[in-house]
Amino acid sequence: MATGFNRNHKITQEGGIIDEEYRVEYVSDRTNTFGKAFLALTFECAHCHDHKYDPISQKDYYRTFAFFNRVPEKGLVGDISLASLADPPRIKITSQEINDILTFINKKDTTPVEVMVMKDSTWKRPTYVLTRGVYDAHGEVVDIGLPSEILLFDSTVYGNNRLGLAKWLFDKNNPLTARVFVNRMWQEFFGRGLVKTSGDFGMQGEMPSHPQLLDWLAVDFREHGWDIKRLIKQIVTSSTYKQSSVASEQKRATDPDNILLARGPRTRLTAEGVRDLALASSGLLVTEVGGPSVKVYQPKGIWESSTSGRGVLARYVQDHGENLYRRGLYSFIKRTVPPPGMLVFDGSNRDQCEVNRMRTNTPLQALVLLNEPLMLEASRVFAERLMVEQSTPEEKVRKAFQSILCRQPKKEELALLLTYYEEEKVGFNQSPVKAKKYIEAGEYQHEKINDVISLAALMQVVQTIYNMDEAITKT
Amino acid sequence: MSKEFIDHRFHITRRHFLGKVSLGLGSVALGSLLIPDLFSNSDEPLQTLGLPHFAPKAKRIIYLFQNGAPSQLESFDYKPMLNKMTGEELPASVRMGQRLTGMTSGQAKFPLVGSHFKFNQYGKSGAWVSEIFPNIAKVVDDICFIKSMHTEAINHDPALTFMQTGAQQGNRPSMGAWMSYGLGSENKNLPAYCVLLSRGRGNGQGVYSKLWTNGFLDSVHQGVQFSSSEERVLYLKDPEGRDRADRRKMLDNLAQLNDMNYKEFGDPEIQTRVQQYEMAFRMQTAVPELTDLSKEPDNIIKMYGADCLVPGTYAANCLLARKLSEAGVRFVQLYHQGWDQHGNMTGEMPLQAQDVDRATAALIMDLKQRGLLDETLVIWGGEFGRTNYCQGKFSAENYGRDHHPRAYTIWMAGGGVKPGITYGESDEFGYNIIRDPVHVNDFHATILHLMGLNHEQLTYKHLGRRYRLTDVAGKLVPGILA
Repeated sequence: MATGFNRNHKITQEGGIIDEEYRVEYVSDRTNTFGKAFLALTFECAHCHDHKYDPISQKDYYRTFAFFNRVPEKGLVGDISLASLADPPRIKITSQEINDILTFINKKDTTPVEVMVMKDSTWKRPTYVLTRGVYDAHGEVVDIGLPSEILLFDSTVYGNNRLGLAKWLFDKNNPLTARVFVNRMWQEFFGRGLVKTSGDFGMQGEMPSHPQLLDWLAVDFREHGWDIKRLIKQIVTSSTYKQSSVASEQKRATDPDNILLARGPRTRLTAEGVRDLALASSGLLVTEVGGPSVKVYQPKGIWESSTSGRGVLARYVQDHGENLYRRGLYSFIKRTVPPPGMLVFDGSNRDQCEVNRMRTNTPLQALVLLNEPLMLEASRVFAERLMVEQSTPEEKVRKAFQSILCRQPKKEELALLLTYYEEEKVGFNQSPVKAKKYIEAGEYQHEKINDVISLAALMQVVQTIYNMDEAITKT
Repeated sequence: MSKEFIDHRFHITRRHFLGKVSLGLGSVALGSLLIPDLFSNSDEPLQTLGLPHFAPKAKRIIYLFQNGAPSQLESFDYKPMLNKMTGEELPASVRMGQRLTGMTSGQAKFPLVGSHFKFNQYGKSGAWVSEIFPNIAKVVDDICFIKSMHTEAINHDPALTFMQTGAQQGNRPSMGAWMSYGLGSENKNLPAYCVLLSRGRGNGQGVYSKLWTNGFLDSVHQGVQFSSSEERVLYLKDPEGRDRADRRKMLDNLAQLNDMNYKEFGDPEIQTRVQQYEMAFRMQTAVPELTDLSKEPDNIIKMYGADCLVPGTYAANCLLARKLSEAGVRFVQLYHQGWDQHGNMTGEMPLQAQDVDRATAALIMDLKQRGLLDETLVIWGGEFGRTNYCQGKFSAENYGRDHHPRAYTIWMAGGGVKPGITYGESDEFGYNIIRDPVHVNDFHATILHLMGLNHEQLTYKHLGRRYRLTDVAGKLVPGILA
């Protein structure tokens, strides 16, 4: 079932397309993704010609391509109005199977669910080297294989199919797989991999900053059963990761990018992370694991104004209740029109495999944090929860600050926020209508709070804390 | 760390530095001459290259994309031969085995069909225009028609993506993103790249936000979509119960908090964020002012047509495009959907034309009367052309046309292109190009040139190599330059 990863590349449903052109495109996508995700190599360069820098010939490319070229699929499945969410080949998973063996799946209803999978057809489709990468320019016929500079692929040892490919990938002598993966995990936590170019370990990539550490982590990871959880624990409990990101003038001057890791990482949260932060700190987060994707708040008309009106995803129907408060990774992503708030925070549009996102800093990000319904709702719900507690304004502000920034406010910060709170109370007192409107934010059930003025003033303070640079930055 | 690795790292640094000196300093020096703030302590963060490479002919672009591929044969590419031969089979000598889309490749016959609409010549240039574009016909002397466009894609999504990003498969930056990256914005309160959508009454194909993607460029270069709803830019409106003064106060407090933080961490990103909040604040005022079309004088409303007061129409978008462009937005991209006439050409084409004809001509006249046409490049056209043969059941009265990538027509006006000319020519069947072909890459190279950018030098390194809008191809088309 994990082969679904290989099948869920972008798929066209445009009526007039040429079947073979797109079938080849899909197989290329899989080949490129395989190269980038598992080997951190720019395989796509060898789609049209021998790689200019790395030892991947065009023939190697199509030999790798051959592993993925046996799926009995079509480039065009059919009319979009007839299209299903899972094109063949697919498997059907029943509740019985989930109860018996697939217990890690969270499937809420009882109807069987269909998912796309890889499958090798009984008929062996010949694979050609495609001259200049053109789908119908057939060159010589090639059999499966992999770039021998990495590790020789002997099909009598590994097997003559994708299982053989997996065995080769996880062979003790494969020099890349474990290194590439631990580097990506390192990047997740430090914002920068030990090899900065986490998608390119080739000649055009950068050398590792700490090669011995990379090797040690990779071997350790492999020798402990490729246990990701263990790897993550090792990284986050290391004294390197636990360092403060406060940097002396001197440290900043000698190593502005913190390549040598003399201080802790300081990076902006991902698109999903920004959402998760708001949900978790305000207490809105639904912690359920797995389940179908959810349709969160989205401005009206985004899908409707940019589709032809055909197909099952022509209209956006927002979810309600618990589905609004699930982690960012569960947000529904329509590839042609991804959630706009996520794109603004450099979320990928899932067009192609990305292993390293940018971390930009733009005015549109400010607009999202200031005005997006979920951010306002989190501020409101958090403020309501604080209002219910028997505590002083100072205690409330301290608690909000602690939950959002994971530290206590300094004296000046606290003074500023408390003064702001009192000023806002005066302001809302002068126009209680504004207070009433402001605290309406979001669909989440409202607490009964009589002192609307204090609630609104506190909500404004909480919203301000959410908008601090530090809130969306790992420090 | 072993000595070899340390050496390697220093080596890399030195090599990279030298590389930058040899390639980069020239343009950096030039850039700083042209844009004095580039190296000053301006409070705007530096996010673009601050080019151009050389003096531009055009400062801004308004691209009126006709999404779905309007038929060149019913609009600007007059082919009387097709009327004479209506009903006869497309000669194999003309088709030359060209691949067809999955929609007509199964057809047994390919009967030619001539335009149902009459053509006349207009202006001093004597350009042929069909009767369904009476207003564009009046401004032909400002227009440069290119009748020899050709593309590699024959279906909408790849063709559109190709026109917009220089590659058929997604994930490359779109043209507007490249402009924003190379040139930046002329207006500190508005994004450099704005996108406006409208839909006509004909058969439509979708447009997707991936068409205005920043691709691998910084997300600040992403096209900002303006919607027709009350909130023109997403999340632009202050929350209910909060006004501008309240927001100002919040930002002042926020700036103080962030500043305390900066003193501790010294991370320049903190200061950038404070500046970005300020720009967001200014945008919140600038955008509603600019998008308020109700204060436009009557003569302007009359020019663009009454539709321009209905948000989300093509006419409203044309007027808005003029205002955004006038305010310094580098690239305004319109998409008008509904041009995919596989059938019912005579029913749908006039409706589509009616939606765009008046406002398109008005935009050109309006820019001209403001003295802006010289520095604004207006582009009109779709992603490919349509076949000279009939798709589906043949009828000379009502017919359809399939996709045709081999020859189609687009036009440009203003900003450094020759007015009142026709460049390139298709054969008398409107099928193949017989003179001066212009490939999509050539089109991109030329547009970049008009904006003062060398298409071979505007690059971004990604996945181990340098990418360009024109990738590894593209030739300037000198024949259309004024």
